[in-house]
Amino acid sequence: MNLERIPNEEKLGLSRRYYLGGFAFLPFLWLVNVLWFFREAFLKPTYTEQPQIKSYVKKSALGLIVWVAVLTTWITIFQHFRAQWGEVGDYLSFTIPLGTA
Amino acid sequence: MNTSDSEEDSYNERSALVQCESPTIPSYNQDHDMSLPQETDTKRRRPVSSGLDEPGPVERERASTPDGEEEELTLKYGAKHVIMLFIPVTLCMVVVVATIKSVSFYTEKTSQRLIYTPFEEDPNSVGQRLLNSILNTMVMISVIVVMTIILVVLYKYRCYKFIHGWLILSSLMLLFWFSFMYLGEVFKTYNVAMDYPTLVMIIWNFGVVGMICIHWKGPLRLQQAYLIVISALMALIFIKYLPEWSAWVILGAISIYDLIAVLCPKGPLRMLVETAQERNEPIFPALIYSSAMVWMVGMADSSNPDSADERQRNEGGALAQEGVESEDDAAQGGRRRYSAEEDLEEDRGVKLGLGDFIFYSVLVGKAATTGGDWNTTLACFVAILIGLCLTLLLLAIFKKALPALPISITFGLVFYFSTDNLN
Repeated sequence: MNLERIPNEEKLGLSRRYYLGGFAFLPFLWLVNVLWFFREAFLKPTYTEQPQIKSYVKKSALGLIVWVAVLTTWITIFQHFRAQWGEVGDYLSFTIPLGTA
Repeated sequence: MNTSDSEEDSYNERSALVQCESPTIPSYNQDHDMSLPQETDTKRRRPVSSGLDEPGPVERERASTPDGEEEELTLKYGAKHVIMLFIPVTLCMVVVVATIKSVSFYTEKTSQRLIYTPFEEDPNSVGQRLLNSILNTMVMISVIVVMTIILVVLYKYRCYKFIHGWLILSSLMLLFWFSFMYLGEVFKTYNVAMDYPTLVMIIWNFGVVGMICIHWKGPLRLQQAYLIVISALMALIFIKYLPEWSAWVILGAISIYDLIAVLCPKGPLRMLVETAQERNEPIFPALIYSSAMVWMVGMADSSNPDSADERQRNEGGALAQEGVESEDDAAQGGRRRYSAEEDLEEDRGVKLGLGDFIFYSVLVGKAATTGGDWNTTLACFVAILIGLCLTLLLLAIFKKALPALPISITFGLVFYFSTDNLN
């Protein structure tokens, strides 16, 4: 759908829903919110709803950064210590890399 | 593994190529050959459009523009549509071929079969094998025909909730279960350790955002990307679970079915398309790939919200629009504004059913699996694109929904069998 042709209130509603939806463990949704509404929020001439859209975009970006940090930390820890954790490591693993002969 | 019935049916509905349409507003009133057969729509639009028409001199000026210019516009927009469809079709095929070549899972033959192809192919006896593949094809095609008819009946009797539920279930399965399988196989191929928490996060995000983009509202590019991905996933499942010879016979049979279903007056797909047209509703977004969005006739928007709304409602499902239509709409604002709007306007584009994506990719994927080398794969790829080009040309000429499978699949099959047997 094209953001150009929907009225501003709808844009605001859409941005708000994307923002609220992201709280359901959906950082991807926040990413989409930031990328999609970035131009609307920051590069367009001001209109009434713009400050609110801006705030949603900023909050989504913040949430996204937090999630990225958490996930990166967890992935690093897991990849590094997986072998050492023994049974727990295997339990947590979806795929276990095969060794080479 | 057995796929659900919804998969079978859904992809079938998707085998049609329609042009995005908005009913003609004949600014060039004398050009009867340009007007579309949707009279009712045209009549509804005329009062709206006349409000936008510039009075007097500009109209006369437009009335005197020659046919040649319109033809030029049709060709120009026709060419643009071709490119707009080449890219997603190519992307889908590239994803499928890349997966086939790298992840061995999808080329390993298992004894598991879909319930739609119950007859086992015995590699020892040619006659028996051929017979079984024909029987498999008959079973599959009859399942498809039945499902299509059920869908059309449901649509005619306005059981929208049922259809939407069905489509949602089917996309849920594609977006979650098949992508989970796919991701698992990719990780195993590249020997990457993956933990459950991260995996759950990835699949959850991918699936939910996919559902939102396809069934609700989302950025167009993302929606297109998701549709390409689910077509590729579906094609991979077919490549894995359809027996060798059955797959080729099924491809041939389904092109014939597509031809019948879309062109015959009582064909189910044609009835679906026409009913959607009559009711001025978009065909379900989960079944159709749309290449562009309507951009409202620039300045006219603010002055006439009614026309904007109408066009908005019709953009999704409106069919068989010629490229010149969008020019007409733009021209309504007056020719002098045309050049300014030209860079802003996106024309309505073309829609291609997802079933077409799936079967094109199945053909190229199977060529990559079983073909001797890259020549075969490339030959099939080129053949399909040529077929698509021809189909779009026909679409520009006939301006109504056309089956996109027959020409491409025929060329593809011919090229596959001839290239494969060259040495």
